[in-house]
Amino acid sequence: MSTPNTNMIEVSGLSKSYGPIHALHGISFSVKKGEVVGFLGPNGAGKSTTMKIITGSMAPSSGSAKVAGFDVFEDPIEVKKRIGYLPENPPVYGDMNIESYLTFVARLKGVEKSKVKSQVEKAIEKTDLGSVRRRLIQNLSKGYRQRVGIAQALVSDPEILILDEPTSGLDPRQVAEVRSLIQELKGEHTIILSTHILPEVQAMCERIIIINRGRIVAEDSLEGLASRMAGTLELKVRVARPGADVESALRSVVGVSAVLKTESGYTVNVMGTGDLAIEKVAEAAVMSKSGLLELRKESADLEDIFLKLTTSEENQKSGNVSAGGVA
Amino acid sequence: MRGILVIAGKDLRNLFLSPLFYGIAGLCSIAWTLVYFLGLEDFAQASMMNSMQGGGEGASLHFVVFARHISLVNLVMIFAVSAMSIRLFTEERRSQTMALLLTSPVTATQITLGKFLAGLAGAWALVGVSFLYPLSLRLFAEFDWGPLIASYIGLMLITGCYVAVGMFASCLTENAVMSVVMSLIFNVMLWFIGALSDASQEPALTKLFEHLNVGAHFIGFIKGGISLASVTFFVSVIVLMAFLTQRVVESNRWR
Repeated sequence: MSTPNTNMIEVSGLSKSYGPIHALHGISFSVKKGEVVGFLGPNGAGKSTTMKIITGSMAPSSGSAKVAGFDVFEDPIEVKKRIGYLPENPPVYGDMNIESYLTFVARLKGVEKSKVKSQVEKAIEKTDLGSVRRRLIQNLSKGYRQRVGIAQALVSDPEILILDEPTSGLDPRQVAEVRSLIQELKGEHTIILSTHILPEVQAMCERIIIINRGRIVAEDSLEGLASRMAGTLELKVRVARPGADVESALRSVVGVSAVLKTESGYTVNVMGTGDLAIEKVAEAAVMSKSGLLELRKESADLEDIFLKLTTSEENQKSGNVSAGGVA
Repeated sequence: MRGILVIAGKDLRNLFLSPLFYGIAGLCSIAWTLVYFLGLEDFAQASMMNSMQGGGEGASLHFVVFARHISLVNLVMIFAVSAMSIRLFTEERRSQTMALLLTSPVTATQITLGKFLAGLAGAWALVGVSFLYPLSLRLFAEFDWGPLIASYIGLMLITGCYVAVGMFASCLTENAVMSVVMSLIFNVMLWFIGALSDASQEPALTKLFEHLNVGAHFIGFIKGGISLASVTFFVSVIVLMAFLTQRVVESNRWR
């Protein structure tokens, strides 16, 4: 068995082609036991393909993947015993009710006979499906089906949970519930979840792997990614009397790299991050006597990082974020 | 072993809880009842003629009534099993539940065997329904069990072949219509391979095709004989089809 600090999942040089289409180009990363890792990327980036390979339901064209020390292709059964997987579409049978479906999955996953019942109860309780447990799955709404899908992944109490877009199709309240559920599961399980919804990773993950066009473009903690983006600061300045005066005044501030006129005022890019820079810009705006109404700091949030990494990749290959951090 | 039974159990449970099975069984019964009744009429007439002519060797209940019933059951089973086999893999793939089976700690062989057992049990349940007809006649007439039992063993083996063929067809496609049509065509082809013996000039080939004649093997059972060659033939067809299915299921990982 693995000790707390070992890598639960180790992926190296994974490539996958579907005929002429290359879905993955040599992806490598590792996940430690108990970690919650977010897989982030636009649609079609290769998230699902990577997950399918880790779960052993698809072979890579080259490279290897190891789960709990077992090679996905040499010991698929050992790997599959340890993984709970929620695919993009929850794999549910419409003509079964929730309880019998989960019982079936528990048995299929090799849960001991004596524990099947209690494990099913636990999964139903965790996903809050008690009120609909005897309903046929085909009569449930998309949100409930998604929860049945999550329950299905949990029911064998696996060491590793792989969730492909766990909150898709859920209403905001359910999204919040799933997020808190994943928070609860932290520590007990190693979790990989994929999404293209940014706040989700922000809310749940300790570490983020951003993937685009089959390549890892960044891999870091949330704070780490944010600090990579540091170095420039974006300020929104709104004045009562916009004009050439204020524009030149703003330009003259030391450290200002660009001033852009917008509908409601100006966007000022400043090198350096300290409050000093903001103070200087404020001062210049006031001195120009054009009536400063608002000065707002735009924080570089994950969305910016994400857009920057996934859209401008080809024009600035050697940007400030490279595929660094790949262990 | 447990994986096989879990998969088979789930499929069977869902089959017997769905209206599909009862619909098919009901429709089959209509056809069977009609022809069985006509068979009985013929038999009654033949017996009457016989007794008027002074007795002696009369019409055989087995050949006039049962053999006809069994041939019809066989014909109907080709259609019924082809329809029921959609559930085995085509439905799994359509509802995207194949991902669950493929990421569970079961091998492709276990999945295939589980599916085959479920299909077989469903088909044999229908054969069981058809057995009620001769069984009910037992209330009114004495007859020899031997040929009837042999015929039913033949029927079970041949429906086993239909299930294996249907399972193979269903694992090839996600389209339900395609699945049924392929299964029907494969099953009908099974019956016509033997006919090639007439067309071939080579004596060795003729002999080979004679061995592959499903009709000849099946008639052997109806006549009341259980030959090892025939049992081996049917079991080989089942094993071959199950093997091909296993390969297709396994190949899901490589696509």
